[in-house]
Amino acid sequence: MRQSPWLAAARGPMLIAMLPAAVCILATVALSAWAIFYSFTNVELTGARSINWSFIGFDNYVRLFTREGFLNSLWVTFVFTFFSAIVGQSVVGFTLAVTLRGTRSLLRNIVEVAVMLGWLLPDIVAAFMWNATTSKTGLINSFILNPLGVGPVDLISNYALTVVVVANIWKGTAWSYLLFSAALDSISREILEAARVDGATPFQRIRLVILPMLRSHIATNLLLITIWTFGYFALIFALTGGGPGRQTEVLSILMFHTSFNVGKLGFGSAIAIAMMLLVGVLAVFYLRQLKEPK
Amino acid sequence: MLKRHLLAAAAATTLLVSALPAQAVSIAYNANFEALIAPGIAAYEAATGQKVDAIKLPGGDDYSTRIQTDLSAGTAADVIMLDSYIVAEYAGSNYLAPLDDLLKDWDQFKDFMKGPLDVVSYNGKVYALPNGTDVRMLYYNKADFTKAGLPIPWAPKTWADVIDAGKALNKVGVANAFLLEAGTKWGEGTTMQGFYMTLLGADTPDGDRNRLRDRASGKWIGDSPAIRNTLKFYQDVYVNDKISGTAINYAADVFNDTNNAFLAGDIGIYATGNWANDCLWGCGNANQPSQEEKDKLVGFSPWPGSGLPGAKATTNISGGWTVALTAKAATNPDAIKLLEAIYDAKNLGKWTVDTKTLTVRQDIADSDAYKSNPFLAQITAMVADTTGRDTVPGYAKVSALVQDMTAGILDGKSIDDVVKTYHDALVDEFGADAVVTLQ
Repeated sequence: MRQSPWLAAARGPMLIAMLPAAVCILATVALSAWAIFYSFTNVELTGARSINWSFIGFDNYVRLFTREGFLNSLWVTFVFTFFSAIVGQSVVGFTLAVTLRGTRSLLRNIVEVAVMLGWLLPDIVAAFMWNATTSKTGLINSFILNPLGVGPVDLISNYALTVVVVANIWKGTAWSYLLFSAALDSISREILEAARVDGATPFQRIRLVILPMLRSHIATNLLLITIWTFGYFALIFALTGGGPGRQTEVLSILMFHTSFNVGKLGFGSAIAIAMMLLVGVLAVFYLRQLKEPK
Repeated sequence: MLKRHLLAAAAATTLLVSALPAQAVSIAYNANFEALIAPGIAAYEAATGQKVDAIKLPGGDDYSTRIQTDLSAGTAADVIMLDSYIVAEYAGSNYLAPLDDLLKDWDQFKDFMKGPLDVVSYNGKVYALPNGTDVRMLYYNKADFTKAGLPIPWAPKTWADVIDAGKALNKVGVANAFLLEAGTKWGEGTTMQGFYMTLLGADTPDGDRNRLRDRASGKWIGDSPAIRNTLKFYQDVYVNDKISGTAINYAADVFNDTNNAFLAGDIGIYATGNWANDCLWGCGNANQPSQEEKDKLVGFSPWPGSGLPGAKATTNISGGWTVALTAKAATNPDAIKLLEAIYDAKNLGKWTVDTKTLTVRQDIADSDAYKSNPFLAQITAMVADTTGRDTVPGYAKVSALVQDMTAGILDGKSIDDVVKTYHDALVDEFGADAVVTLQ
């Protein structure tokens, strides 16, 4: 194979430039290998089994299905990811991007600031804010439900998962909005004009022109927000701590609780590996969608 | 050639390390005890002229998680504050330094009472110094009770009396009539203030039938009438009679939010401990209302038993917080000096009386300031009824599983289901031989 002289001359600097990537890859592989290794042991954070642990084969993986916790959390995570990311952030972000496109109004500025604010606020601040908003004396009860003659409703006691889903839609919509706004700008005006001249209604223009052209953007967006939301921790942990009961105990909180409150690092690692596999499957699915249809 | 370079480098490193000033002694502590720890640090710094690397962490369950993670990662401070229940567990993991030899020249070590030192001992050695102990009770909001037409002072005799009071409070708009700590966000608070206080009155004390562990055989109790009765009480409070909402147990800042809600009258009855007399208005806060003003707002009653035949009439269980040295600090003379400065009779004595904490030192107990305090006399009388936790290695895991049981009840699961989950998890953890079922 003939090498380009430029590449040959730059081999030294290029090797150095590769170092950060190599370190990142090594760290990822090493930490994953570590977690996989631990998931076959009964090692614990403290106590006798932190020193004298042993291999227990697939026991931890069997317990994922025979012990309470994992299946419930899997379901909660699925509901949370589906409604807050795939349906919520993605659809709301897309709708906002389409409707606000080309407008230069005060309304657009207000909406953009509101959407970005959610994204920019630290998770913990957002959690305390939503806790206050949904409390019995909070904004929703005082300004919406009470004037309508309803309530006060203890929203987190009765609708914890819904509150968490709505909070996350509010928190994460900005990303989808920005991504779709940029993508829409890449569709040339001529194509949309042509569609209009041909008599396409606005709805048809979205369905038959814009959506197919944004196919890869949509897949990329879904890939990213699914991965983020699937392992999301801070907002839910600070807002409800996984409760009441286990109503909002997503997999990441179950993993944290198992590993660091109960102290079963081995079992916690098995949960982590299961999460990795699940996200991996979803990622492969989305990556296939990224390919142009033949 | 290479060898000579290596030797030179080694020599240079040795010189450099020995020339560096000794690293400041570090302490990690729970902010709820700042009024005790901060003056202790100041006294140490004044006496030695050395700075202390102080890491003040917010109280609550996350404090214990942080310390546990630091210890297992080997990054913990030299001196650490610990809830007393975890001391034996950490001593068994070789995380802590035994203190007997280190404190043998300290003339105040003899003033510590034996019972409280037993709680923080492991294999006959003391691994931490307790700063006090506590008793638990049901605090109630007097304004809510007046509104609901309930008697003050309130003295429930059975669990049913508590539920009835809760229903009366619900009728006058107190939605969270009874805060019985449940779920995982309270951490050890659920186990102690909620579950264990109920459990102790749930069955006869004979043969440890009202405990988590059968101390004679050394086995954990995986299923018993007392555990089921206790869960039934949780179910009555949160599911059947719904005298309280569940969300309050999962508030963003659960300790402070609950304290505020109780003072605001949004919680009628609060299962807590004597520290509430201080911490409701900010632990160790110097600008608190006077005891007379506090007594106008809140009162307390001993926890009643279930009312079942043979069960105790009132229950109590005691814990407390401690300061320990991590294993690496055993050879650091500064660490023990800091510990002694914090526990010096003057510093500890002032904090004890200011915060009205039950003391574990005989000299403080004998002091006039302590003896003449009416609140302390009141809670000292409750000590006769008290017991301790099952502070053996493994307790922390059992406690976490107990918290999971209560979370299951809040979720609407059946008692059979949550007990089975608990039993199976105990067997996973300790083996079938170490778990017993009582009929």
